[in-house]
Amino acid sequence: MNFRRLKDAFAGRLMLAAAVFSSVLVFIVAIALYLRSEPILEVKSLGELLLGSAWLPSQSIFGFYPFILGTVIVTALAMVFAIPLSILSAVYLAEYANERLKSIVLPLIDLLAGIPPVVFGVFGVLAVVPLVAGIAPLFKDSGIPFLNGGGYATGYSVLAGGIVLAIMVFPIIISISYEVFKAVPFEVREASLSLGATRWQTIKHAVIRTALPGIAAAVILGFSRAIGETMAVLMVVGNVVKIPSSIFDSTYPLTALIANNYGEMMSIPLYDSALLLAALILMLIILFSTLGARLILVRIERRMHG
Amino acid sequence: MSHITIQNLSAFYGDHHALRDITVEIPEKLITAIIGPSGCGKSTLLKCFNRLIDLTDGARVSGKIIVGNMDVLNGGTDVTDVRRRMGLLPQKPNPLPMSIYDNVAYGPRLHGVKEKKKLDEIVEKYLKIGGLWDEVRDRLKSPASKLSIGQQQRLCLARGLAVEPEIILCDEPTSALDPVSSQHIEQQLLKLKNDYTIVIVTHNIHQAMRLADYVIHLYLGELVEHGPANEVLENPKEERTRAYINGTFLADVKADQEINLKGNMCPYNFVYAKQALHALEKGKILKLIVDDPTAVTEVPRGMEAGGHEVVSVRQQNKTDWEIIIRKKS
Ligand SMILES: Nc1ncnc2c1ncn2[C@@H]1O[C@H](COP(=O)(O)OP(=O)(O)OP(=O)(O)O)[C@@H](O)[C@H]1O
Ligand SMILES: [Mg+2]
Repeated sequence: MNFRRLKDAFAGRLMLAAAVFSSVLVFIVAIALYLRSEPILEVKSLGELLLGSAWLPSQSIFGFYPFILGTVIVTALAMVFAIPLSILSAVYLAEYANERLKSIVLPLIDLLAGIPPVVFGVFGVLAVVPLVAGIAPLFKDSGIPFLNGGGYATGYSVLAGGIVLAIMVFPIIISISYEVFKAVPFEVREASLSLGATRWQTIKHAVIRTALPGIAAAVILGFSRAIGETMAVLMVVGNVVKIPSSIFDSTYPLTALIANNYGEMMSIPLYDSALLLAALILMLIILFSTLGARLILVRIERRMHG
Repeated sequence: MSHITIQNLSAFYGDHHALRDITVEIPEKLITAIIGPSGCGKSTLLKCFNRLIDLTDGARVSGKIIVGNMDVLNGGTDVTDVRRRMGLLPQKPNPLPMSIYDNVAYGPRLHGVKEKKKLDEIVEKYLKIGGLWDEVRDRLKSPASKLSIGQQQRLCLARGLAVEPEIILCDEPTSALDPVSSQHIEQQLLKLKNDYTIVIVTHNIHQAMRLADYVIHLYLGELVEHGPANEVLENPKEERTRAYINGTFLADVKADQEINLKGNMCPYNFVYAKQALHALEKGKILKLIVDDPTAVTEVPRGMEAGGHEVVSVRQQNKTDWEIIIRKKS
């Protein structure tokens, strides 16, 4: 019947349109941000904006360097905590844990993923910040780079931000990697075990290798969540515009800058434009880092499967 | 000389009794074929040999398997030792997600060979034995998954041999391959039997005739018959062996009546089958299609007990089984 074919064609078009729309949206947002940040880009050089470390809007000085650094360091620290922990947990859950344990732990992890950021923020203020304030003095004169506590520590710091973010991305990476490990075909394990490998050798040399592209995707997703997270981070990092010299120092990530200031003091010239430039920078950092990660992923896959 | 001695071996998946009290010996440096209809426990038997059955949740094994001086099923025996001594060639080639070279070097590396030169030698030696060297010598670093299925299977053979086992276990090693690749694998196995004990599971009676020196026939988890290949295949003592061999020869027996009992549970499907058979004349053939796992074992058993001949039991697809019965009384 012709009507059926018509419906088929229509459904196809509709889905295509939906797919195109959602990918075009990215460009629309990027272009809008660019247009709105153009005023500041016209009067200031890019080098001055990206590398300047002073932030004095009333004197028309806008240096984004401390914010960019804040975003990068807090996110990197979060990933350093989250990646090994969550991959080891996922391996344990997928390969060793019994059904009973899994039936308890997996729903809890999903629950953790569903908790709103502001709750993590409060948790950070009540638990993580005092903890950091407590351990900071131990490293005071340690001489280890980035660990040297600079005198009095409030606990509102890069480290607190990193820990809170790690807790937030933890469930994402675990639950995706868990599924990825589960999806590794039985044949891979069978091949390895039948050659006399132990269980751990099999996991290390064959299972993780097979799962690598999926794990990388999980890490990328966790990373995007971490770098874009706003509420929880701005509650625990102290929001001080300076270049942190230690993980016990306060910092001020881009997301916090935008959320704290947009809509206020908008009468200052170029202020609005500067904040939207911050948003654009954030978006570009995310874009390029995920793109880079995807490229690495493709390389890994090509080496494995051709 | 027997190489693998199996005593009173039983295997269960949950409460499904997959192997029933098997006692048999597998001769050294000969090819032993395990034949039998689908689902009769052939793969399960191989998995007991190399203890891959340990990986199946709810599987239990009792009895004894002795290889040389090693008690395979004993809890104190190191499984990695067991598996090192038995190479496995699976039904579907299962290359590891790495290069051709790394696939072959995988086992030796696990067992402590680190030196590059030594590994190079091992890889070359076993790819040659596997009959793959000439085809891959200048692309050892390319991914194993790029090879054709037939080449992948020879790679799996080479990889299994590289850990220097004494026994090679093959589970329908050619069923996923084209005729030329199958022939290739068969030829390699014939060459290897001077140095290895080979156990091959096969559905293909012709393949068993070409390769096997010794044949074991399993039927619904029981050992029906075993002995030198020419005796078992050409002159079986057991009615069920004859039925199986004939059944696989007459790939499609012409049924006089066919009934579809899918969706019926035991014992109803048995009752329906009985009624249908009752309506037929003596010597006529009834074909049943069932999908209840219990029926697959119980209907033929019941029919045999009733004096009828079970011509063949075959799995048609994931769920459906075909049972062919000739009315005798
Ligand atoms: N993991 C499992 N869980 C439950 N039952 C199983 C499992 N594996 C096999 N079985 C059952 O055990 C019996 C024997 O299975 P097995 O795989 O050994 O048969 P097979 O002779 O190798 O058959 P095929 O020729 O189709 O490969 C079958 O009835 C099957 O349904
Ligand atoms: Mg099988």
